[in-house]
Amino acid sequence: MTGSPGLALAGVHAAHGPVEVLHGVDLSVDRDELLVVLGPSGSGKSTLLRVIAGLHPATRGRVLIAGKDVTGWRPGRRGVSMVFQTYALFPHLTVAANIAFGLLVRDTPKREAQERTRRAAAAAGCDHLLDRLPGQLSGGEQQRVALARALVREPQVFLLDEPLSNLDAELRVETRFELRGLHQRVGGTMVHVTHDQTEAMVLGHRIAVLQAGRIQQVGTPDEIWSKPANTFVARFVGSPAMNLVPAALARSLLDPPAVVGSAGSGADGLDNGWLGDPGLVVGFRPGATRLGGRGSAGVVEQVEVVGEDAYVRLRISGQSITARVPAGDRPAVGSAHPVSVRQPDLHLFDGSSGRRVVLR
Amino acid sequence: MTAGNPTRAAPGADPRRWQPALMLAPFLLGLAVLVFIPAIVTLVMAFADYDLIRPPRWIGTRNFTDLVGDDAFRAALSNSLWFAAIAVPIRLLLALGLALLLHRRSALVGSARTAAVLPTAVPEIAYGLLWLWLLNPVYGPINQLLLVGGQNGLTAFGRTPPQWLTDPNDARTAIILMSLFTIGEIFIVLLAVRVSLPAELYQLAAIEDATGWDVFRRITLPLIAPVLGLLLIRDTIASFQFSFVPALVVTDGGPPPYATTYLSLFIYRNAFEYLRYGYAAAATLVMLVLTVLAVVVQWRLIRPFWVRYRL
Repeated sequence: MTGSPGLALAGVHAAHGPVEVLHGVDLSVDRDELLVVLGPSGSGKSTLLRVIAGLHPATRGRVLIAGKDVTGWRPGRRGVSMVFQTYALFPHLTVAANIAFGLLVRDTPKREAQERTRRAAAAAGCDHLLDRLPGQLSGGEQQRVALARALVREPQVFLLDEPLSNLDAELRVETRFELRGLHQRVGGTMVHVTHDQTEAMVLGHRIAVLQAGRIQQVGTPDEIWSKPANTFVARFVGSPAMNLVPAALARSLLDPPAVVGSAGSGADGLDNGWLGDPGLVVGFRPGATRLGGRGSAGVVEQVEVVGEDAYVRLRISGQSITARVPAGDRPAVGSAHPVSVRQPDLHLFDGSSGRRVVLR
Repeated sequence: MTAGNPTRAAPGADPRRWQPALMLAPFLLGLAVLVFIPAIVTLVMAFADYDLIRPPRWIGTRNFTDLVGDDAFRAALSNSLWFAAIAVPIRLLLALGLALLLHRRSALVGSARTAAVLPTAVPEIAYGLLWLWLLNPVYGPINQLLLVGGQNGLTAFGRTPPQWLTDPNDARTAIILMSLFTIGEIFIVLLAVRVSLPAELYQLAAIEDATGWDVFRRITLPLIAPVLGLLLIRDTIASFQFSFVPALVVTDGGPPPYATTYLSLFIYRNAFEYLRYGYAAAATLVMLVLTVLAVVVQWRLIRPFWVRYRL
């Protein structure tokens, strides 16, 4: 990437009244990058977006857009556009007038405003609706109009506040792809806020996981999935959530079994000495958990069938572990099965800080 | 118990049949006694001569032809129409301005809202007596204030202060002035409407760098317009009535002959002071027709908004 990033946050703090909700957020988004901010509700992700837009003040820290410090600027000068979760369409204006709103209040010549409105509507796929009123549109159509309105000014930064959360499941999947295609066509710095991990995985070039007002990890969807920075990210991304167990229990599940001793003595050439460390928490995903093999046995407590998969909850040594198996192979509740995991599928975390531990 | 016995469910014996009528009865009775019967009596009386002492005498449409030639009635009609035309729009604009000013929660806003509503809560007679003092040309605080900075009994601009109670135009202005502080209800309605408008619309406008004027013209006003229209109709109807107490208590319908005699006061005088009940009833009918006309015209102007918003 060349030059300054499209958007940068440096040590941003923000508060709602006396309660601080952002505790020093650093973030950098490249030009033409689509960054997804992923977090549970109450994590401060909407506040973060509103701080970038200038709708909410930052108590400390700086916001830079295209290299310019815009921290004290009013929203209208920042060159951002925003799609709200509720779409915020003006009920008394036609689709065309809604899209053109930002152009009209900025005194764009009428001819130019019409042309740009038409182009933005075409890009967002709502150019057949221009004469309608928002009340006559479906949720999906309203969402396209809100997108077109965000596109029409060709802003530096697009901010999208959970724009897909009000759509039904099928439409959400479809719109997700369209949104990604749209970004590929028009480019620009895009920050998309969501609590939906699938949406984040599918859409984002990179994902910033936010929790309790702090960025937990920033990385590509691959990195977030395969190298979660801490136990929060590990459990928040992935469904069902990653199993987290004490090291001793993980050791009893290893197949091939652990070899405690000198370096290089493990079955796959790894030192298994860490498996005796009581300060470690070990994670493995339900999909990497196998029923059968040489691991210790657990009792099936609960089975949830979700289409082709079944999520099997087992209890081993007082710990609850979830395994994902094909629905056809699901065991009966109450039966006992050995549970096995392979060493490469394990994630290691520090027991007290929750941070990822890297061996070697 | 005879549950399920068909004779128990026979029509007439089922209490549920007359229960709704019984529950509505108090309201319907009140409506009949206080509204429908007086309305019919008024309608009939408009074609009679009646003074409470002698029996009514049928005189056809003479009450109406008399009204046309009556200077007092013509003055009252013109006063009422001017009052509505001037006071109602200013009342609405004032209430709208206050609502937009005070819709945000911040320090002192609560007190300011209370202050805006308070005059409306004062009993009308007390309100009138209060203004009688406020408007006193010699010691009334309003003229005292106007004289500040002036010399020789003139205002700072070198003009004689308004003679609220003795000059016809000043007196009409005084009645309008009095009506401008009793806008509490309109204010509350507009405040509620403004508070209920989605905050996102205004945040979007901020992101689009809309000026305050643009926000008002393109967002707030169109979204409030349907309610504003309704309030316009309501206040126009009410304006024929809320000029009554001020005119009676403060200006006594004068200065002579009829500077602040409004239709309501005209009707009151004819009925209860001159005992011309038939004449007063005819004037009431005229006032009613005027009200209906005003409502129809305004409804025609407002209806397009309502259709557009699918209200």
